Amino acid sequence: MIHDAQMDYYGTRLATCSSDRSVKIFDVRNGGQILIADLRGHEGPVWQVAWAHPMYGNILASCSYDRKVIIWKEENGTWEKTYEYTGHDSSVNSVCWAPHDYGLILACGSSDGAISLLSYTGDGQWEVKKISNAHTIGCNAVSWAPAVVPGSLIEQPSGQKPNYIKRFASGGCDNLVKIWKEEDGQWKEEQKLEAHSDWVRDVAWAPSIGLPTSTIASCSQDGRVFIWTCDDASGNSWSPKLLHKFTDVVWHVSWSITANILAVSGGDNKVTLWKESVDGLWACISDVNKGQGGVSAITEGQQNEQ
Amino acid sequence: MKLKEIDRTAMQAWSPALQHPIYLATGTSAQQLDATFSTSASLEIFELDLSDPSLDMKSCATFSSSHRYHKLIWGPHSMTTGESVSGVLIAGGENGNIILYDPAKIIAGDAEVIIAQKDKHTGPVRALDVNIFQTNLVASGANESEIYIWDLNNFATPMTPGVKTQPLEDVSCIAWNRQVQHILASASPSGRATVWDLRKNEPIIKVSDHNNRMHCSGLAWHPDIATQMVLASEDDRLPVIQMWDLRFASSPLRVLENHTRGVLAIAWSMADPELLLSCGKDAKILCSNPNTGEVLYELPTNTQWCFDIQWCPRNPAVLSAASFDGRISVYSIMGGSADGLRQKQVDQLSSSFGNLDPFGTGQPLPPLQLPQQTASQSVILPLKKPPKWIRRPVGASFSFGGKLVTFENTKAQQQPGIDQQQQRHHVYVSQVVTEKEFLARSNQLQEAVRSEGFVSYCQNKIDMAQADFERSVWAFLKVNFEEDSRVKYLELLGYRKEDLRKKVNVLESCEVGEGQTNSDFLSIYFAVSNVDGLITQALLTGNFESAVDLCLHDNRMADAIILAIAGGQELLSRTQEKYFAKMQSKITRLITAVVTKNWKEIVQSCDLQNWREALAAVLTYARPEEFAALCDLLGNRLESEGDSLLQTQACLCYICAGNVEKLVACWTKAQDGNSPLSLQDLIEKVVILRKAVQLTQAVDPNAVGALLAEKMSQYANLLAAQGSIAAALTFLPANTNQPNIVLLRDRLCRAQGELPVGQEALKAPYERQPMPKARAGSVAGQIQGPQAPAQQYYQQGDNPPPPGFIMPGAVNPNMPPQQATSSSYNMYSQAGARPPYPQTYQATQQYSFGTGGPAVYQPQQPITAPASASYPNPAPNPTHPYLPSAPSHTMPSPLYPGQPQPSPTSLNPASSFPLPPSGASFQHGRPGPPATSVAYALPTGSTGTLPATSDLPASQRTGPQNGWNDPPALNRTAKKKKVPDNFMPPVPITSPIMNPLADPQSQMQQPPAPAPPVGAPSFQPPHLPAGQPVLQSPYQPAPQSLGPCIVPPAVSKTSTEGAPGAPIGNAIQHVQALPTEKITKKPIPEEHLILKTTFEALIQRCLLSASDPQTKRKLDDANKRLEFLYDKLREQTLSPTIISGLHNIVKSIETRSYMEGLNIHTHIVSTSNFSETSAFMPVLKVVLTQANKLGV
Repeated sequence: MIHDAQMDYYGTRLATCSSDRSVKIFDVRNGGQILIADLRGHEGPVWQVAWAHPMYGNILASCSYDRKVIIWKEENGTWEKTYEYTGHDSSVNSVCWAPHDYGLILACGSSDGAISLLSYTGDGQWEVKKISNAHTIGCNAVSWAPAVVPGSLIEQPSGQKPNYIKRFASGGCDNLVKIWKEEDGQWKEEQKLEAHSDWVRDVAWAPSIGLPTSTIASCSQDGRVFIWTCDDASGNSWSPKLLHKFTDVVWHVSWSITANILAVSGGDNKVTLWKESVDGLWACISDVNKGQGGVSAITEGQQNEQ
Repeated sequence: MKLKEIDRTAMQAWSPALQHPIYLATGTSAQQLDATFSTSASLEIFELDLSDPSLDMKSCATFSSSHRYHKLIWGPHSMTTGESVSGVLIAGGENGNIILYDPAKIIAGDAEVIIAQKDKHTGPVRALDVNIFQTNLVASGANESEIYIWDLNNFATPMTPGVKTQPLEDVSCIAWNRQVQHILASASPSGRATVWDLRKNEPIIKVSDHNNRMHCSGLAWHPDIATQMVLASEDDRLPVIQMWDLRFASSPLRVLENHTRGVLAIAWSMADPELLLSCGKDAKILCSNPNTGEVLYELPTNTQWCFDIQWCPRNPAVLSAASFDGRISVYSIMGGSADGLRQKQVDQLSSSFGNLDPFGTGQPLPPLQLPQQTASQSVILPLKKPPKWIRRPVGASFSFGGKLVTFENTKAQQQPGIDQQQQRHHVYVSQVVTEKEFLARSNQLQEAVRSEGFVSYCQNKIDMAQADFERSVWAFLKVNFEEDSRVKYLELLGYRKEDLRKKVNVLESCEVGEGQTNSDFLSIYFAVSNVDGLITQALLTGNFESAVDLCLHDNRMADAIILAIAGGQELLSRTQEKYFAKMQSKITRLITAVVTKNWKEIVQSCDLQNWREALAAVLTYARPEEFAALCDLLGNRLESEGDSLLQTQACLCYICAGNVEKLVACWTKAQDGNSPLSLQDLIEKVVILRKAVQLTQAVDPNAVGALLAEKMSQYANLLAAQGSIAAALTFLPANTNQPNIVLLRDRLCRAQGELPVGQEALKAPYERQPMPKARAGSVAGQIQGPQAPAQQYYQQGDNPPPPGFIMPGAVNPNMPPQQATSSSYNMYSQAGARPPYPQTYQATQQYSFGTGGPAVYQPQQPITAPASASYPNPAPNPTHPYLPSAPSHTMPSPLYPGQPQPSPTSLNPASSFPLPPSGASFQHGRPGPPATSVAYALPTGSTGTLPATSDLPASQRTGPQNGWNDPPALNRTAKKKKVPDNFMPPVPITSPIMNPLADPQSQMQQPPAPAPPVGAPSFQPPHLPAGQPVLQSPYQPAPQSLGPCIVPPAVSKTSTEGAPGAPIGNAIQHVQALPTEKITKKPIPEEHLILKTTFEALIQRCLLSASDPQTKRKLDDANKRLEFLYDKLREQTLSPTIISGLHNIVKSIETRSYMEGLNIHTHIVSTSNFSETSAFMPVLKVVLTQANKLGV
């Protein structure tokens, strides 16, 4: 049973993870599918994988029910485990790399309710910060805010280190979406977004497209998908808009790179694509399964997990 | 872990799944007393607030009841999905009574909370269950085999499921089937269970094992399988849970014997049928898989018995347990840390009993001694198996290029015993295209650029234009491509020489009264019929003769004279004749301007409403060198001073000026909205204007301003998001150092499977990243002396340099395999490409991950790798790859100390390349990467980062800067020519040094050797023969790493060649198997070689005769890009029609009839598949056009 499939930064390699405890990497250039690596190291189902930005090399993080986070690195063509984090007491459900501007930082959300932040400090060392009890009985998803300098959308003068404010969103079994902000090196809960009436299954912070608005999508066991937006620079006033209420659990939301399309994956195995119209209403533009709407969903390739 | 606790001795009921927020109702238990011996009873409702980290549960309401309860359930009957509390609380009392409460009223604090009450049963009502299909149906069980079915809509008279079972006995449990709505089961302490069919109104089967020891305390149906149920036994002699299948009801299907004493309660999770909770008199709460019997989890409980246990219907990870020590605890099944909770529990226990003296003995009771669990382990492990509800079955994620990766697991449920391999799981990659019109228009634009059909493109746009302004913009753009553009501009502005002539004639024939005259010539134009207007028009169109005539006619002698002077000697003399007859002057300013040619002043001071006239004047009179500036100036004024209408007109001025950047700014300001189509509107104009400017003005076509660059990269981003990566690349500005563009280019190139091309690629896109410096020394011990760098260098290359390059004469048969199997550029790409990211390491040295370091970088490895790894059977291979190097150094170590020296020699050959610059850059590029990698390979190095580089020749020292993405195109050329020349057959191995190395065993024994095996397990290419030595794997990965980041540029999307896209592993395998002969690139089939020679010769001829640098650049570029064609020839992937067309072109070149060649070219393009020819046909056209122009 596959639990996650993610393309790398260039869209040339595909990483999948599965109940069979494996993480696999495929070369999918030119429509092909060639198994590059079968990474073994987890002792339970692997829930998610995340590619780091290529400026740090070929690095993949995976998280598993076995409570471990493993960071894999390709060195000289071999994928090896480069770091294993065992600081969680329960299933680690989500991993997400911070924007590359911040360095190599991985956020991990666990069923033990905590969120860990692993920062590479050089020389094989990782520094761990842990937010305990971020979500009671479990954090299901983490997603970083894009690296945007507050109050200035214009490129900073070169040489001057941008004053980034690091933020990420998390969703959990307490039905909440929370926004975390780093202040003086400490992570603090900045916002608590309440709208869902059941577990928040996934959160996705939309990529920045140069507008001052921040946008987060969240989906839940309750079948609802909310789009949260915040227009002010301080990041304090978030307002939800119900994208749709599905009849089944919504497991996953994913923004397109241009942040204008949201892919929603539901428990009924349906994937739908949503787009915001000019008047701010969200409309389903395609049901990927049925191939309707203005989208050509071409299956370029398929692969057998085993 | 424990989440909450309530100090109550009570029965409990969770609110139904639909209810949000989650409540827990507690009703004082009828069978337990706490230390107060109080018999008062209450019904309470608590809210489960998980965002509150404390152990306390928030009490929402308390209702003092006159009853104590044996059973409490919360049914979803008449429930709404709103936020309000709803459903029905159903309680079983001590005296045969069943009471319905309204939980909403309890929470609201109403006095009247009872909906209905019936005392129909005999004895305590211990069993209650709600039918999940018809939630108005409730079954109850009490003493004397009494079972009633209640309809909550008609509560007065209950039904019975059939005749009472005999002998009469208590009914301890009752449960509705989870799959079939009319099936009900009941069980009694005697151990018998009865299944009733309500349609038949009778018991249909009785379930009992024959030892009569079962003492049923719990009964539960399988959530998914209709015929299965479990029975729990309270008897300490038989503390079991039996799983029955009614299809085989003579004995239990399975018996779970995990409790050591009697089981008091069970609960089967509705969310995951593999989770069954049970609590027993052994004080354990277990979670087992009833389908296998395996205990998945033991809750970290206190040591008291629990008499009731319930899953939370809404939150599948939450359960509650009521224990005899007077507490209801809420747990999570997901584990987690319980630090800080435990102590509170003990404190509360002590204090709750501390001061009580219920027996009046005068002695306080001693604190309750809870035996603490010996292991004070604060970490509670989660379930052994992941619960069903956290297994994500489906997902869709976007990735670069508008691709959507989706997966689904149709068989979401994994049945035990079914081999997972039998389940097929697919991951789909789809291209999401949402902007079809955008793409279509973008394609049109690209086609226009490709075919250079700008005029027709513009004309088409004019025809299609909806708005006047749009039409005029396109008309202006079109003029750029036409002859005599200034005149055409004038016409567009409304000044036609012919029209003027007509009007002059009219004026002369019939006297027209003198019109209004105004000293500001610019405000008179709208009265075209008056004389001044005509004069002005005449002047604006440069028609001096008419102007003079008009002046004369109007008695403006001075004007006539002055104009005549400007108009030429002949006119002057004619005019002078008439001068004295008439004299009057009006439009002096215009005349002044015309005569003195001071147009700047006019442009600066004219009334903006008359911008057309000002522009017309400039178009007519301005000298070429000042023309653009004047147009700009006018545009600026319009933009800054005019109203919104005039602001947009500034675009026209900028078009005349050819000022792309200003046009972008002006257009952007005028258009709001960020939609793809509005961007397309802009880009169309910009691209066309840029093309025009390139034609007419000698400016660097690649120069791009910041704003335009931003727009272009936005555009490229949009195209990429729609999957048109190749198109995105073509629109991305080439010459810019803007980081975001450099990044995007890099990403696009790699996404396309190519390496970034172009100057900016020299700069590592990410080098700006500030990185902490790494600590040195971790690997220092492995490096011996100054040779280390060299050694590392070689190893780092990890595909040793191609023969003839780094080590002249040193042929490395096994390395070039990549070259052989894949396209020939691999090697270069690798050389260039590898460092991109590593370069970062080099700068900071921090990313040699500790664990990976030793494993990956064995100093000895460079040698051993080829020797042992690449050759599963070294024996058959007569030549040792590294032999050549052996002679060059005397060291016992198999390093390549001499290596740096050879490379300078290789420089010479390089300089002999047709393209010297490329050769040079190649040299830099090639050594560069290794140098970089040295730094990162040796986090500490022998002495830090630089020894490696300093050992290198100067030319190589620049390597790190030149870095990873040297233009592969250049390399390509260099290489193609070079390699075969310098290629030398491998020298037989004679060096004794190599022998030990070739032996895998000795290899293993070397100190650094342990690392390789590390790699082995992690990667087993599927195609590896099973029997191959393990040793092999450590090395084969090495070449692998190259693969991912290196893609031969030559491989286009349509390429069918397997190698470039092939997994690294494959490549490596091939490498090992390939004979040395295959090192060189696949040759171009002989019959097609003429194509290459002819085209190259033509380009050389053009280069020789071309004078301006721009053309030379174009030709150089063409030369490089034709490599795509040659590659296709090598691959033999071109269709016969294209091939034959190309040969025809060659024939036409040989006869120097380039026009004919161009015609053939057009024919090919129009009849062939675009994707097949797009990589080289446009280039060919450029070459042919140039050849035609230069007449070579």
